Amino acid sequence: MAAPKFAFLLLNLISILPLLVSSFSVDRPTDRRILVLLDDLSLKSSHSLFFSSLKSRGFDLDFKLADDPAIAVKRYGQYMYDGLILLSPSTERFGGSLDVEGVLDFVDSGHDLIVAADANASDLIRNIAAECGVDFDEDPSAVVVDHSSYAVSETEGDHTLIAADDFIQSDVILGNKKIEAPVLFKGIGHSLNPANSMVLKALSASPSSYSTNPSSKLSSQPPSLYGTAISLVSVVQARNAARIMISGSLDMFSNRLFRAGVQKSGSLNKYEKSGNEQFITELSKWIFHERGHLKAVNLRHNKVGESEEPSMYRINDDLEFSVEIFEWSGSSWVPHVSKDVQVQFYMMSPYVLKTLSTNGKGLYHTSFKVPDVYGVFQFKVEYQKLGYTSLSLSKQIPVRPFKHNEYERFITTAFPYYGASFSMMAGFFIFSGVYLYNK
Amino acid sequence: MGKSATTSDVHALFHSLRSAYAATANHLKIIDLYIVFAIVTAVIQVAYMAIVGSFPFNSFLSGVLSCVGTAVLAVSLRIQVNKDNKEFKDLPPERAFADFVLCNLVLHLVIMNFLG
Repeated sequence: MAAPKFAFLLLNLISILPLLVSSFSVDRPTDRRILVLLDDLSLKSSHSLFFSSLKSRGFDLDFKLADDPAIAVKRYGQYMYDGLILLSPSTERFGGSLDVEGVLDFVDSGHDLIVAADANASDLIRNIAAECGVDFDEDPSAVVVDHSSYAVSETEGDHTLIAADDFIQSDVILGNKKIEAPVLFKGIGHSLNPANSMVLKALSASPSSYSTNPSSKLSSQPPSLYGTAISLVSVVQARNAARIMISGSLDMFSNRLFRAGVQKSGSLNKYEKSGNEQFITELSKWIFHERGHLKAVNLRHNKVGESEEPSMYRINDDLEFSVEIFEWSGSSWVPHVSKDVQVQFYMMSPYVLKTLSTNGKGLYHTSFKVPDVYGVFQFKVEYQKLGYTSLSLSKQIPVRPFKHNEYERFITTAFPYYGASFSMMAGFFIFSGVYLYNK
Repeated sequence: MGKSATTSDVHALFHSLRSAYAATANHLKIIDLYIVFAIVTAVIQVAYMAIVGSFPFNSFLSGVLSCVGTAVLAVSLRIQVNKDNKEFKDLPPERAFADFVLCNLVLHLVIMNFLG
């Protein structure tokens, strides 16, 4: 009687095991466990709307003070978190074993990061941002000021609270619902290196903005950062699909600005609620891989008419190529539909470049003729679209020339030689006849 | 003075060659005609290859070899059959012709094989 009970208990215990594997994995790219480092524990309540929206989407948030000595992102070589949110702009040094190198290693291993800076941003935060490709204004007391795009406000008159609506044009990054109301921003601006192709401006400042210390007189030299070169919020997508968001304002995440109404100066539109909540929520969905994460599986090629993948092709063969691309929807893999996935048949340069056609269910296929050149080729799919993870697939395949019995039986260009040889034979017969019977 | 002398020398040379050639036996003249035919065919093939390119090379070689081989065998027949040739005085011409036929058979076998 005890045995079946015991077996039942064991079975129950075993069924808990899958829950222990609920962290980030290749099959489920959305992050699960996020470490949030705060300057000040009151941020938990002053920014509660942001945190609760994250929790409602299923994330496990671990709040710690930035100088808590128990901070550790790595234990026994494994990362304990999938994402890191640094809402600690004024922290000079993190507690525990985390430092700039640690944060960069975290990102380099494919994990995501949100960094918020502020008017009193420390060198630590500035360094982290600089390593990610974002350069904050070197003047430590400078903030972004905009005298024609500020938020009309009863309390603040120095135009440091700006209403920005210059968003990046991407449905993947910001969601397909248009953000109607401008986003309220109060903080420091940064610039991006134009040579860096992986960093993008998610929210740019208007052309009339500039970065300066609002309480001191304007110097005779023009400010180093001005106009649309100033980026207020930037995102970086690394080649290993790690996503980083760097914002110059911590207040942008706060409940106060989420709930505030906004009226941009010079415009008559008054919005009941600023675009902050929608902007931050949608952007965090992208950062934590709930959107825009692609995977490609089943890269196959075969000769037309066959179903197995051959180990070698011959020149002038007809072949078919197919690949399946899926997109993570936040909870499952759905087919990714796109008209511009291309495949190259590449050896030092692409001999064949074809756009793949799709059947709507994630299968992309095409067929083409192997070029008249032999060698070792690669099927290459390089797909880089704004906001999506980049796909870089390749499969090597050798291509051989004709075997000696694969040519046409009688080659047209060789007909004169055939003719000459037969004429020699005929000549031999005629000659012998004539020679023998000659008197 | 020198020019007319050279041109008349050339003319005289031509004349003597022609008359000497006319004195050769008929059967040798037949062999010579056959040799010329073979060489001309070889030259035509080489000119064709120069224009069109050497694909397929094996067919080109086979065609040219058939012409050149035929010419070579015919030349050796002519040597052996010529009565003025002291070296082959004791060789019956029938034997020379039989050798010629056998060698041609082998040549054409090889040519057909290599022609592709």
